Amino acid sequence: MTPLVRQGRPEVIESDVCIIGSGITAAMIAEKLIEERQVRIVVVEAGDETVPLTDRASHRARFIGYGENPWGKDHIDGMTAEGIQSRSMQVGGLAMHWGGVTPRFSPEDFRVRSTYGVGDDWPVSYEEFEPFYQEAELRIGVAGEQGPAEMDPRAKPFPMPPLPLTYNLELLKRWTTDCEIAMWSQPSSKNSIPYGGRPVCCRNDTCSICPVGAKYSPDFTWNKLRATKQVRLVPRTLVRRLVVEDRSNRIVRAEAVRRDRGGPSGVPVHFRARTFVIAAGYAWSPHLLLLSRSSRFPNGVANRSGMVGKYMTGHRNVFAFVKLPVKLYPGINEQHSLVTKQFMRRGNTDRYLRHDLRVWESSVGQRPRLRGDDGSLLLGDDVLADWRRRTTAGTARVRAYYDVLPDRESALTLNTAATNAYGDPQPKLTFRDSPESAALRGYSEETIKALFQRMAKVGNGEIIRSGVDDFQDHPGGGCRMGTDPATSVVDGFGRTHDHENLFVVGAPTSVTGGCANGTLTFLAVGLRQATAIGREFPARRPS
Amino acid sequence: MPDDFAPDPSPAESPDARPRRAFLARLAGVLAVVPVLSRHLSGPRHVRAAHSSSSSASQPNGTLLAALGAAVLPAELGAEGTQQAVADFQRWMDGYRPGAEANHGYGTGTIQRLPADPRPRWRTQLAALDADARRAHGLSFPALTLANRQAVVRAALTAERGESLPTAASARHIAVAMLAHFYDSTTATDLCYEARIGRQQCRPLAAAAQQPVPLTRRGS
Repeated sequence: MTPLVRQGRPEVIESDVCIIGSGITAAMIAEKLIEERQVRIVVVEAGDETVPLTDRASHRARFIGYGENPWGKDHIDGMTAEGIQSRSMQVGGLAMHWGGVTPRFSPEDFRVRSTYGVGDDWPVSYEEFEPFYQEAELRIGVAGEQGPAEMDPRAKPFPMPPLPLTYNLELLKRWTTDCEIAMWSQPSSKNSIPYGGRPVCCRNDTCSICPVGAKYSPDFTWNKLRATKQVRLVPRTLVRRLVVEDRSNRIVRAEAVRRDRGGPSGVPVHFRARTFVIAAGYAWSPHLLLLSRSSRFPNGVANRSGMVGKYMTGHRNVFAFVKLPVKLYPGINEQHSLVTKQFMRRGNTDRYLRHDLRVWESSVGQRPRLRGDDGSLLLGDDVLADWRRRTTAGTARVRAYYDVLPDRESALTLNTAATNAYGDPQPKLTFRDSPESAALRGYSEETIKALFQRMAKVGNGEIIRSGVDDFQDHPGGGCRMGTDPATSVVDGFGRTHDHENLFVVGAPTSVTGGCANGTLTFLAVGLRQATAIGREFPARRPS
Repeated sequence: MPDDFAPDPSPAESPDARPRRAFLARLAGVLAVVPVLSRHLSGPRHVRAAHSSSSSASQPNGTLLAALGAAVLPAELGAEGTQQAVADFQRWMDGYRPGAEANHGYGTGTIQRLPADPRPRWRTQLAALDADARRAHGLSFPALTLANRQAVVRAALTAERGESLPTAASARHIAVAMLAHFYDSTTATDLCYEARIGRQQCRPLAAAAQQPVPLTRRGS
């Protein structure tokens, strides 16, 4: 593809802090910096504006009715990673259509080497992250139930009472109690009471596009900051490389192209700032660092160690659908679940296995069908009668994310065979288990399946389907944090070892993927990193 | 597997109570619905403006569509319910946008599009049902008894394979499309469970803890 790059004097936009990416971590960091520091912030977003809240009900209707993408223009043609990568290029990023599920990692997730002798410890402990978990929960609004303290340590209550267990989940909780598994309401960033100027969740059951705004999404924060002109957000502008000052290691500018001006070639624009913060997620953050190659930095910036793009993290899941002799009513709130952290500590075995466990209502195996058991075509009353006959029992969906320790070569690389409209190679993601984790894979998955079998037996039920999703969910890594510049990209506060004014924040700095949804942890990591970013600027005077 | 499923397509309809009827009463209702629905479907289009995106020329014949609905949908819906379900399907067809960008799967950047416009094929199939009826019984499709209409539909669906209902848009035959559309609805779920679940509708959060109330029966 012929690169479409226009020559000429570029526009220059200056700020104190330039944040690249406008996803959920960027929103939290910008909000915190604005509240605490005297700082001018510019946010650069490659994608378009997102769908405003006022339009989401109609977009949702077409999503439900026709399966249309409800998020409008949420990708850039030619900007596609090979490997797992959800399309997320618009203001608000991937968290515009996240599920809003917000568990914390367990303390053990941050010290698997020192506790279990596997993988690597994070340079920061759970106890050090705890106040930032709390801050993240307050900022986005989390409704949660305190689990047993020995499994679910936290210093303060959740900001909101838990989402109530549905009629179905109450019945399923009796079952898991019989299985001797302590389960409780899954913490979620969905309002159980009015919060943050947003209404209570009304169980629309399409959390990927919440039509009422009960689920947090980053556009709410950006709308607030932009309305008060505290942040300048520049959409449709793709940062293509970072440039290092000639006689130092400081980043002097981010070179970008405005995609919405100047025709297909766009218009070049330079962002100058005292501090640069890359908040572009697990794929596009290491991608930008690798793209920023020069004669002085032939492997890209912040990559003296060769660790940029390495140790991509995530967790795999084992799932099953269990038919149980209990009358359930699928559809009361299919998105909500029970959760436990009971298995996040290794059991009485020498082999390393840690996982979460969640239980949902489900209609799997109970959908209306076209043909009966004998293969005959069903029409009229027969379809309904057949459906009713098959719904006298209930189905539970059970799923466990288990910890997968990343290999060094679990990596993001530049794919020169695929370039975007500007000639930039696109990312290629290849996830790989560490040797110790690969050796445990069979054991891990069989042990979890045996747990599901035991649960089915206790409930006098049967497993109607089970499997393993063969990809790593909630990816992170690629700009691993650590104390040793030879084996990591950033320190515990996200500052790159190689460039004092360049930070990478959130998911890409993860050391391991843990065994629970990662977003809240990415936010806690990011908010802690924001404290170091903010120290460079004067404190805001109390108003 | 993501936490947030892409939901099954279903229209957001209120789960009205539907009466059970005796067979003759149901049959009478089914037959009565045909002309009523025919008028309904040929009426003013402004009521369907929210879904409208195509010309009426591509739409299947309303009378035949109503007769098909009575043949394939559960009689328990009654005349009014059947009429509503067929009208909903008609509106859904009106609003279909061939090739629109589909919701993307979790973890992939692959862009998929909705299938090509199925309506011309469905219109032809509906006309074929009528032709089959005239050939086999000497009567139009709407004029057949319910049993004979179902027999004509069964004969047309002999090539249908698979146990599951597809999505309406991907159904190869209009009879299957109508079934798929109805059975993905909130109304159908409530009818099956005989309870007001109100799937995918805005409902009070606190009420989630309660067992869904039974559907009330007309005359009970």
